[in-house]
Amino acid sequence: MSHYNRTQGAENKKASTRTVSKTKKQRNWKRWTIHLFPIPALLIYGLFIVYPLFAALTYSFFDWKGIVRGEFVGLKNFKDLFTLQPFSDLFWNAFGHNILYFALQMVFQNGLAFLLAYVIYKKVRGSEFLKIAYFLPRLLSVIVVGFLWKLILNPNYGALNVILERLGLESLQKAWLGDPDTALIAIILVNCWYGLGFGVLIFLAGFQSIPQELLEAGRLDGANSFSMITRIIIPLMVPSIMIMTVLTFIQSFEAFELVYAMQGSQGEPYHSTDTLAVYFYRLAFGGSTGGATTAVGLGSALAVVLFLFIAFFTALYLKYMQKKQVDM
Amino acid sequence: MKKMKAFTFIGFLAFILILSGCSSESGGDASGDSDSGEDSVTLTIGSWRTEDKASYQEVIDKFQEENPDINVEFEPSKNTEYNTILNTALKSGEGPDIIHLRPYAPGIELADAGYLEPLDDLEGLDKFAEDTLAASKGSDGKQYGVPLNISTTQMFYNKKIFDELSLEEPKTWEEFISLNETLKKGGYTPISLGSKEGWLLSLSHGIIGPAHYGGNEFVDKITAGETDFTSEEFQTSIDAMDELKKYFPENYEGLGMEDIRTMFFTGDAAMFPLGSWEIEVLREMNPDLELGFFPMPSAVGKDPTITTWVDGSYAVNANSEHKEAAKKFVQFMTTEEFGKLFTEEFKMISAIPGIESDDQLVNDLSKAVEEMSTPYMMLVHFSGGNPTTKATLETELQGMYLGERTPEEVAKAIQESAASWYEPLQ
Repeated sequence: MSHYNRTQGAENKKASTRTVSKTKKQRNWKRWTIHLFPIPALLIYGLFIVYPLFAALTYSFFDWKGIVRGEFVGLKNFKDLFTLQPFSDLFWNAFGHNILYFALQMVFQNGLAFLLAYVIYKKVRGSEFLKIAYFLPRLLSVIVVGFLWKLILNPNYGALNVILERLGLESLQKAWLGDPDTALIAIILVNCWYGLGFGVLIFLAGFQSIPQELLEAGRLDGANSFSMITRIIIPLMVPSIMIMTVLTFIQSFEAFELVYAMQGSQGEPYHSTDTLAVYFYRLAFGGSTGGATTAVGLGSALAVVLFLFIAFFTALYLKYMQKKQVDM
Repeated sequence: MKKMKAFTFIGFLAFILILSGCSSESGGDASGDSDSGEDSVTLTIGSWRTEDKASYQEVIDKFQEENPDINVEFEPSKNTEYNTILNTALKSGEGPDIIHLRPYAPGIELADAGYLEPLDDLEGLDKFAEDTLAASKGSDGKQYGVPLNISTTQMFYNKKIFDELSLEEPKTWEEFISLNETLKKGGYTPISLGSKEGWLLSLSHGIIGPAHYGGNEFVDKITAGETDFTSEEFQTSIDAMDELKKYFPENYEGLGMEDIRTMFFTGDAAMFPLGSWEIEVLREMNPDLELGFFPMPSAVGKDPTITTWVDGSYAVNANSEHKEAAKKFVQFMTTEEFGKLFTEEFKMISAIPGIESDDQLVNDLSKAVEEMSTPYMMLVHFSGGNPTTKATLETELQGMYLGERTPEEVAKAIQESAASWYEPLQ
């Protein structure tokens, strides 16, 4: 930068903003202090996020005898996780459940949320009430939600089976959470019910940020409502869809709280509700009945794999979607 | 500006390194005893029994009558969190002075890691049965814990329902089966058991199993490696679990602990295969419940059995600053006086033999324990391995009840799990 330019810049600045000119010293001091402000945040972030991440990474390279660290064993824990029985079977079993989790959440939670948000956006009668109604479940704590649905799904006195009985549909009655074919799906649907309101909120904000003049221009050009939706609304909704997809992806691959609240840490019944996070919890901290031994090394290895997986796909997806964004 | 970014980044890295340096891996820096005896010391007790806080206070008050210079604080954590909290504390050289030890494998794991103080020189340990001491004996043969209480698992039954159908406590397996039939015809659920929570299955196998594999003889043989889990004796115990499912409630595969307990104390179900700790809960839920129990009659012509194990022991933290005071307290836990107080206050069976209880049911139970006890084999001997053999039994039985596994496959899977870590079976 030449001296001339700099003064020019300063002149312009003076003209455009109302900052009082300062001495060089003061400006330097300001530059310094800027770096002091993030320190509390960095401390908390470093202590509770970055440090545990590195700790888990180092733990995964050691052999553990219970909770005592043994020798350095390199990648053995990772190898065991993928090759040793029953760990590898359980890993892929849980992995499949996470994929199912993601797929069903995308369809039932986000698909439905998109439609409902559109309905509210179009100002259907009662939309104000609907907005609140959809968001209500979200105000409960996950543990309460789990407990509530456990009661509803109870095979012998739960509301669902009682209703089926009143309707004369006894043949459809099931031990919803006790049958390995339905237990996981039941939990995922409860999770969709719980997350629906959040999706509606995000999509509604997306719809409301679509500039009216674009829609008017479309209407003037004689676009029918189908091409209005596919040509104008959906492309402009890409950012919201992107955010929701990423959030759902992360949430479904970290699915733990609701599964734990409804089925405990053993992935019961018969490993049919094991997700990677539940499986990790069992490996690293033992079971819920207090009598199980722990496998810290394997648990840490699993945590690292899970982290890398989520980070990699989230980054990839964001990169791909950024290309598809429409510049406004 | 570029320079600034680099500076921040380096600063951040340095900061992370400092953080990582903060975590010390101190295995044990025994600082010795700082008990000068002049001023009072404060001991903490760690435990998973949050529900016993008031009862422990009684015990502590009694102890302080004789040791006014030792303050004791009972600081329990939630049952499911206890192991995690304790392990984390021990790893950083902290933790309570007196530790409530989980029985068998998990507790012994802590002893072997060097976190506990050996207690061999403690007076009063000779009172306990050898089996009872084994729950907290380290692999080095030293004693690391004072056994606290014996838990039992057995068939509870509702006396009212039995009287109504004029049923007797069964003396043979055939009688037990016909009793189930009678109950079913009488419109009751015979056995209140659900398979949604795996631990209930290993617990009920703990009751039913010995009647078929033949109690202690089989346990001695298998721990000596003279037989295995695919043997005829053990196979019949799994078959029996399968046979009984027709006496379970409707939709039993979807029922958990709360459900089956409710079915029993409301009088829908006649029998309840569960642990002694449920006595207090059941009475609280339904004070009018006429609760009885019977030992499991043998199917192979042996004596009836009550299944028992040590539920917990108390140990002294090797890193404690007041080891001598802590030893005084666990020593107090070996006395008859403590045993009596414990039985009265906690309504549990003390690990100290020969303590009478004023509660008829608890008293009958402790008598039965002294006469016909058989170990809860899966917990006592097979709670090692990863996943533990006990957990494998739970999962496999669940699979059997869901129709995914045959009883033969169950026994085979248990054998495979045990052979992976249990030396006598290798």
